[in-house]
This record gives sequence, C-alpha cells and structure tokens, in this order.
Amino acid sequence: MKDLLYKEFKLAIHPTAFIFLSLSALLLIPSYPYYIAFIYTDLAVFFIFLLGRENQDALFSVSLPVRKRDTVKARCYVIVLIELAQIILAIPFAIIGSRINPNPLGNLAGIEANVAFFGFVFIMYALFNGIYLPMFYKSAYKAGMPLVFASAAIAAYIAALEVAVQSIPFLKTYLDTWETGMLSRQIPILVVGIGIYAVCMWLTYRKAAKNFETVDL
Amino acid sequence: MHNFKKGGGTQQMEILSVQDLNKRYEKFALKNVSFSLEKGYIMGFIGRNGAGKTTTLKTLLNLVHADSGAIRVLGEDFANNELAIKQKVGAVFGGVHYYPKKKLKTITSVTKRFYAEWDEGAYERYVKRFDLDPEKKVYELSDGMKVKYALALALSHHAQLLILDEPTSGLDPVSRDDLLELFQELIEDGEKSILFSTHITSDLEKCADYITYIRNGEIIASADKERFLNDYQIVKGTKEQFSEEVSSKLIGYKKNSFGFTGLIKTADLPVDGHIDLSPADLETIMIYCEKE
Repeated sequence: MKDLLYKEFKLAIHPTAFIFLSLSALLLIPSYPYYIAFIYTDLAVFFIFLLGRENQDALFSVSLPVRKRDTVKARCYVIVLIELAQIILAIPFAIIGSRINPNPLGNLAGIEANVAFFGFVFIMYALFNGIYLPMFYKSAYKAGMPLVFASAAIAAYIAALEVAVQSIPFLKTYLDTWETGMLSRQIPILVVGIGIYAVCMWLTYRKAAKNFETVDL
Repeated sequence: MHNFKKGGGTQQMEILSVQDLNKRYEKFALKNVSFSLEKGYIMGFIGRNGAGKTTTLKTLLNLVHADSGAIRVLGEDFANNELAIKQKVGAVFGGVHYYPKKKLKTITSVTKRFYAEWDEGAYERYVKRFDLDPEKKVYELSDGMKVKYALALALSHHAQLLILDEPTSGLDPVSRDDLLELFQELIEDGEKSILFSTHITSDLEKCADYITYIRNGEIIASADKERFLNDYQIVKGTKEQFSEEVSSKLIGYKKNSFGFTGLIKTADLPVDGHIDLSPADLETIMIYCEKE
C-alpha cells in the first residue's frame, strides 16, 4: 500500500488537489455559501480521475504486482487525505472568519461555518465519494458522467440543508449560530457526520473495488 | 489442433500452461485457447491483426477476465497467486503508453518499488544497451524507443516469464536483431521463457523454439517450430495439374496465368501428378491458412 500511495503522489495526483486546499480560506468571506469551498475538493478528485484516464493510470497500476482492489484502496486513501486536509485547514479560517465578520447577523448567504456545518460537510463528502467512485470504477474511464450524478446529488443535499436550516426555526436557532450554548446540539451532528463518512467510505471502497474487478483493461 | 512437446518435458519444467480459455465479446470470442510453454524456450505467438493475440496475453495477466479456463504460471494457479506470480512475470504491451508527460526516471522510480527483485545494475545496463535517456519524457520517445523502455522495465526484476506483445514492431532492423539476440541470451540459463506475439514472422524464424498460431480466436496449432514448418509444404503446378483432388487438399491457393501456388498439409501428400513441392516458411503458412 505504501508503494501504491507513493505512485499516487508521484504520478497520479493532479496539482489542483493541493492548490484547492488553499480555498479553505473562502471561509473568511463574511457572507458566502461556505459549502462551495468544499465542492472544490470534489472537483480536485474529479481532476485526479480525469488525469488518470488520460494517462492510462488504471492499466499502469494493475500491470504492477498489486491486487486490483488495492489500487482502488490507494485512491480512496488519497481522497480521504485530501478531504481531511481541506477540513482541517478550514477550521482556523472558520474561526477567524466568524471573529472578523463585520455583519452583525453573521453569514447572510447560508449556514455559519460552525461545528454542525463541518458535520454536514463530512456527509457531503460521503455522498460525493459514494456516488462518484463506484460509478467511475464500473468503466475505469468514464470520468464525466459520475461527476454529473455526484454533483447533482450534493447540490440537492446542500440546497435541502440550507432551505431547512434557514426556514425551520428550531434548526435556525440550533444550527446557524456560533453560540457556545448550542454546541450540545451541534457536536452530535459532527460526530454523526464523521461516523457516516467513515462507514460510507468503507462501503464505497468495497463497492468500487468490486466494480473494478470486473473491468477488462 | 496439434500440440507437440519438445524433448518430452515434465510437469515441473512447465512455466506456463493455458487450458481452455474462453472469453466472449459481442463480435469476437476466444475459443478454448490452450497451449503450454516450458522453461528455457521462446514461443512465438502469431496471428493476424484482431485474431486475439493481445486479448489472450492480457487474459494471462488478468487484465482481461476470462469467462472460463485455467492459467498456471510456474506451476501455480494464477487466480490464487496473482501477486507472487506478477513478481515473476515481465509484461510488455506494445510500449509505454502511460504517463506520457512524465520523465522515464520518474516512472522507473515508481515501478521499481513494487518489485522485490529489482536489479538496478541490470536496469542501468539495459538503459545503456537500448540507448535510453532517463531524463526524457515518454512522449518524446519514438514508438521503438517506447518498446525498449518498456522492455528495460520488464527485464530488470529477474522475471522468469516474459510476456511480450509485439515487442519488435516499430523497431528498426538493427534494434530488432539486437533484441532477438537478447532474447536468446536471456533463455540461455534454461530458467526463463519468453512468449511473444508478433506478425513479423521473420523474427520467429530467427529465434523461436515454439510457434502458437491463433486465428479468429482459436488456436490452429501450437508446436515446436521445426514440426510446425514440416507440417506444411508449398505446392506449385500448372493449370492442368490443378485437379479437383489437388484443390480439395489445398489449405489455400493463388492462381496465376501459368498455374497455381498453394499450401498443403504434409500429411495429405502425396497428390497426383508431378507437382513441385518446397518447404514452407511461417509467412507463407500464415498467408495460405488465412485463405482457408
């Protein structure tokens, strides 16, 4: 696995994966739909697969003395690393952003980048990965269509969340705030989000690897 | 199909055994592909474009999944020992087509990590022998140089079985001759074997011990080269000599203003009349068999 990860970093990862990490700084913007910063991560994931397709990465990897499913596992690790890096880098920007926000009402364009928000981001990542990876590995070359489906799913997910948080009063009170008193409501969402992400990633890997097994290269 | 063994080899000598491989596509199928190769020999895998050579070779490495059939490498079942077997196999499919914008040294630095028996000295010798520049990027190489680079990678981890798909196409005559010599050197110790597909039959005249001939997804013959060649004769005759009996025995023929030239199985001899017979070469056999 170490060698496959070395291969991923040396050959497979598109530079945008690192560049887009800087977009965690979008959380400094006073009023902004903060989920956007994390949609860029998924775009970077798509670029990795696109680059891989153009470079015949799947054939190269499988020709090496490795199990086919391990090439999928390595790619899953890379995606988890990038997504976690994006979230971890976003935390200081979220805190600083909330402190320096000149709007008395906070973020006017959506949910605050608070603890609950990060829980929702984990679920958004789980949703994207869960659709994109198994679909991509059905063919190991169709990179575009899985993006259409996965993007549509996360767009619907974000829209539903924002509408719910803004229009349902108790959700607005509990979730769209930096008040420390609401942490008891928000921390469970983060914990559940992390849990969903972990379980979904494991299932995603299994399904993607199973799909890839049957692909003729 | 006939399947002859050279020198009555034993089971332990077998480096590759393919049994009843089947793979069905919409418009093409591999049908009961079977052949075997012993240690210390070179097998040429011939057939027209689209006959199933690459599909068969990819199936051997599980890059393409067979619908049925069994593959054994070094006496081990491939399906259950894929990792260990891949360490012992060097495969080249045409050339390096992956990561065209990366430098050779970068691809090498990645590839070598995966092989327990990577031999840096051997790799450097091949780089020198093939005149490769590790600082160059893959896309800067000619097709022939891509093949050479792929071979340098495949040869540098002490593979016991080399599976090479069209390793000589795209190479200039001097490089081809050098490569065929290298193949002979590689099998000298009697431990390694080479299976290579080609449609340049003269390469096989020079170095192959065995010939496996695939046509339209079926193995027509897998035999040692001498027996394979002796199995066929070229016949030449006048128009008058082209009788019904003769034509029914011919595998394929061409007519011209003077008479005809055709291919016949040695087993179907003799035929009536004083027809000219001459030994067949691989190219002629292929051309007439495809006319069947």
